[in-house]
Amino acid sequence: MSNIPADLRYTEEHEYIRSEAGGVVIIGITDYAQGELGDIVYVDLPDVGTSLARMDVFGTIEAVKAVSELFSPLAGEVIEINDALDKDPSLVNKDPYDDGWMIKMQIRSEGELNELLPASDYAQHIGE
Amino acid sequence: MRIDTALLRAAQEGGAFLRLYRWNPPCLSFGRNEPAATRYDRARIEALGLDVVRRPTGGRAVWHDTEVTYAVAAPVALFGSLRVTYHSIHATIVAALRRLGVPATLADGREPVPHTGAGACFASPAGGEVTVDGRKLVGSAQTREGEAFLQHGSILLADAQGLVADLTVGSARAPAAVSLAEVLGRAVTFAETSAAIADAARASWRGVWEEGDMPTVPADDRFADPAWTWRR
Repeated sequence: MSNIPADLRYTEEHEYIRSEAGGVVIIGITDYAQGELGDIVYVDLPDVGTSLARMDVFGTIEAVKAVSELFSPLAGEVIEINDALDKDPSLVNKDPYDDGWMIKMQIRSEGELNELLPASDYAQHIGE
Repeated sequence: MRIDTALLRAAQEGGAFLRLYRWNPPCLSFGRNEPAATRYDRARIEALGLDVVRRPTGGRAVWHDTEVTYAVAAPVALFGSLRVTYHSIHATIVAALRRLGVPATLADGREPVPHTGAGACFASPAGGEVTVDGRKLVGSAQTREGEAFLQHGSILLADAQGLVADLTVGSARAPAAVSLAEVLGRAVTFAETSAAIADAARASWRGVWEEGDMPTVPADDRFADPAWTWRR
């Protein structure tokens, strides 16, 4: 069984969204996703200041045998990226919800958060 | 790589493709995010006049010389998860190789984590790889964009992957690759191998197959641009 924290929101593309104060969100990929991908060897993230529309590709993630796109679940501006992943991309495998986070965004509309999947729906989506 | 990428784009429109091809001239390909600029001896590669390209897929360097290269591009929904897709394509290749008399098997997923440092793509079998006696016969890589995937890989007719180790800066692991010629004790042609793969594909993936020309390839000069090839 994958770890699906109840206090986060999710997408069908296997990203999680953690809400912080003031319309700031932290985005990464789920425990299920990192398990499917296997050992992650490289994470390509956008520059701080990049403006993203919903479902824009914001980066790519390379595991030992596959490269996958990362989709922005919300519209907003990238205000911070996790530089630690450049040196140690395996943090995504080891701790996807904390040390393995990817980008921090200032989102345009907090209302969009309600359109994301709650943990129970995501669990259903991945068959757990 | 332009054509494989064009197939991926066409798969996003709902098409499904199997492409079998070879390289002229031979070519060294890097993985999409491989740190090639520090890993390989660029001056020597250029002095030898070798063709070089960076793939849209991940993994490590492959020397494409005497091989059958395959590419499968299709909507994700046709195959399923990454692992299921890998398994389906590799199982089809195993079936093709067995028709040729090669005792190929799928390496199970319990092998040690492959090392990700310097060395040829063929240096370490990961789970689900096509192997003979534990040695890797097919090197594959996959990329997913939107609702489609591209998986391509090399089936070695004769082994020349030692060149990758020769071009690596510092020490590199000697490849544990094996070729069809070595296994069968005779020269194996592109024609017989590609025909076996096409037959196995028709048996594995039911549907209406059409042989034909490539879809119109959109201009994508990235793969001919040294700035992309040597970007890291």
